[in-house]
Amino acid sequence: MISIRKLALATMVASLGWAPLTLAQSDPGVTDTTIRIGLFSPLSGPGMAYGFDVVNAAKMWYDKVNKEGGIHGRKIELVIEDTRCNANDLLAAVKKLVEQDRVFLLNGGSCSAAVVAAREYIERSRVPHLMLNASGDGALYPPSRYIYGAFSISQHALGGSAVQFAAEHLKAKKIGYINHDDAYGTWNLTGARAQADHLGDVQLIVQSINPNISDVTAPMLKIRAANPDALVLTTYARPAALIIRKARELGFNKPIILTVTGTADLTQLVENVGGPAALQNFYVQDVLRALPSDPSLAWVYEMYQQYYPELAAKPGHPQSYMPYGLSSAMAVVQALKDAGPDLTREKFLDALENMTLETGIMAGPIQFTPNDHAALKSAIYIKFDGKNQELIPGSYKSIWEYKP
Amino acid sequence: MSWSDIWLFLQQGILSGLVSGSIYALLAIAVVTVFKTTDVPNFAQGEIFMVGGYIALFMLLVANAPYWATIIVTLFGVALVTLLFERVALEKVISSRGTPVHMVIATLGLAYVLKGAVRQTGLGDAPRSLPSPISTDVVMIGDAFLTYLDLVIFGVAVTTMALLYVMFNYTRIGKAMRAVGMNARAAQLVGVNLRRVRMAVWALAGLVSAISALLIMPKILITPDIGHIAILAFAAAIVGGIASIPGAVVGGFLIGITENLVGLFVSTNAIVLAPFLAILIVLLLRPQGLLGGKLQVKKV
Repeated sequence: MISIRKLALATMVASLGWAPLTLAQSDPGVTDTTIRIGLFSPLSGPGMAYGFDVVNAAKMWYDKVNKEGGIHGRKIELVIEDTRCNANDLLAAVKKLVEQDRVFLLNGGSCSAAVVAAREYIERSRVPHLMLNASGDGALYPPSRYIYGAFSISQHALGGSAVQFAAEHLKAKKIGYINHDDAYGTWNLTGARAQADHLGDVQLIVQSINPNISDVTAPMLKIRAANPDALVLTTYARPAALIIRKARELGFNKPIILTVTGTADLTQLVENVGGPAALQNFYVQDVLRALPSDPSLAWVYEMYQQYYPELAAKPGHPQSYMPYGLSSAMAVVQALKDAGPDLTREKFLDALENMTLETGIMAGPIQFTPNDHAALKSAIYIKFDGKNQELIPGSYKSIWEYKP
Repeated sequence: MSWSDIWLFLQQGILSGLVSGSIYALLAIAVVTVFKTTDVPNFAQGEIFMVGGYIALFMLLVANAPYWATIIVTLFGVALVTLLFERVALEKVISSRGTPVHMVIATLGLAYVLKGAVRQTGLGDAPRSLPSPISTDVVMIGDAFLTYLDLVIFGVAVTTMALLYVMFNYTRIGKAMRAVGMNARAAQLVGVNLRRVRMAVWALAGLVSAISALLIMPKILITPDIGHIAILAFAAAIVGGIASIPGAVVGGFLIGITENLVGLFVSTNAIVLAPFLAILIVLLLRPQGLLGGKLQVKKV
């Protein structure tokens, strides 16, 4: 009996002693030669413009890394899923990638609402998740050890940056602010209010509208009556176009600043507002470091042409959000390098937690802290008259910080 | 808020409300006409309206057709869609002794089919503008700002309502539609062809939806989800009295003006709540709607 008891005890001690090593070796998706990554975003459906070329950009960066020898001798393997910008499809894709494909980490999500829906599952399954270009504030705050995002700016930072630009560059003291009355609108207004408080002498005149609004007479007339020095629009593309058009009808000639929420297709915007006449005093926010035509970003578009020559020849490609996929993939690769050759999910997450990375693509560096997993806090601004784009020098940073 | 602001808001709210309300009124007429004659609340009304916008967009931007041809194709195209739906789907349901619930589900099916079909074309990927044949330059009425397009929208919508009034009161088919709406069996007994009237009613609903789409789409931008505007048409129909065509007109204008005044004097957040608040108030004070006649009790 004693010997059996000793044997059982010895087995238990041995198994406990080996536990860390066993766990380290059992992280799925990693072998001596490969790291499997689950890449997902909308590749079809009405939200395809948000993710299709973003995924293509991430793919080409991973391919480049593989061609250069991989990371610590391991090549990256991709498993790609289409989420159609839909919460149900995204959750199904994430579950498949984690449970069937057994990926090491998840890199995906271009639509915030869909990404937020996966937060609980990702935390439960403890798989690192880096979004692509979703702002994903709902999944980022309060911070989760496993989730990182906002590579193309968070909603909080978007609002704060726009107010900073209006106050600093346009010298606006009274700023009109039209946002949506949904979660996104609430988040960007929180950032905008924090920025206005920080600046001290800036007043916000806020009108919140439903995203489905068809008649924008009331909000625009109220903004006009308040006589602000500038107007910030953080709405989606359709309400933004309606408001810009209405502003012209009402003779509102103060500067209008449109954030990235409404700038997916500037050519279409010009048509939708009734022509360049409505854009005489108009600025758009962007999160790249410069205009897409700037020589410093030429390599991004050349790389896309080289990888996808047929796609690049088609009108509408590369889609405007394409470069954002590179930024996210760069962060994944950097954290995999920093985690060292004995790769585990915990080491990867430790590497992410204090990462600072200058991508050379975005308006500011990727900066993560244990308390803030949103990558980008800055934006640039472009004066757009319907035909020509003129970069305003400098980038404008949001000061909003998450407070537990 | 100063007195001059209040005066401006009142003028602008009422005039802009009349313009958007005229479209809600037209769509509400389409809803009421179908409901009166077939007992079916047409839950595909918004998508039928949306398809009108996309047919026009396709004609103008893809087929490069002139505006007059676009108008004709859109009117006949949408009327054909609704007519075929009645002929192929609803008549089948009726001949299988289907209940109104089955027909309502058929309209929901139509809504999904139309939205899916539009998305397949690729035109629905981004909000798009239907080019306006009318100038969007501003014209001042009092202190209020309207555009020439607004004036045309209002004028054409009111003219359409007047023509519908003439049709319902002075033409054989219009009288037949009203007779079927009052008592289908009695109308059949005096020789009205129910099937033909039902087809005509659905084609008329399509035609009115197409007119609404052609009028308002240059002003509000098209997306496959723009059909949500039909919720306001239902609100107008309920406020006016779900079986009353004059009620639908009054309800449409009321909803349009209420939306604007609530947005201007209460809060822009409350704009979407305004129609539902109007429904609640009307249902509490006058359940049959503003012009819905006396309450009727049916024996079962």
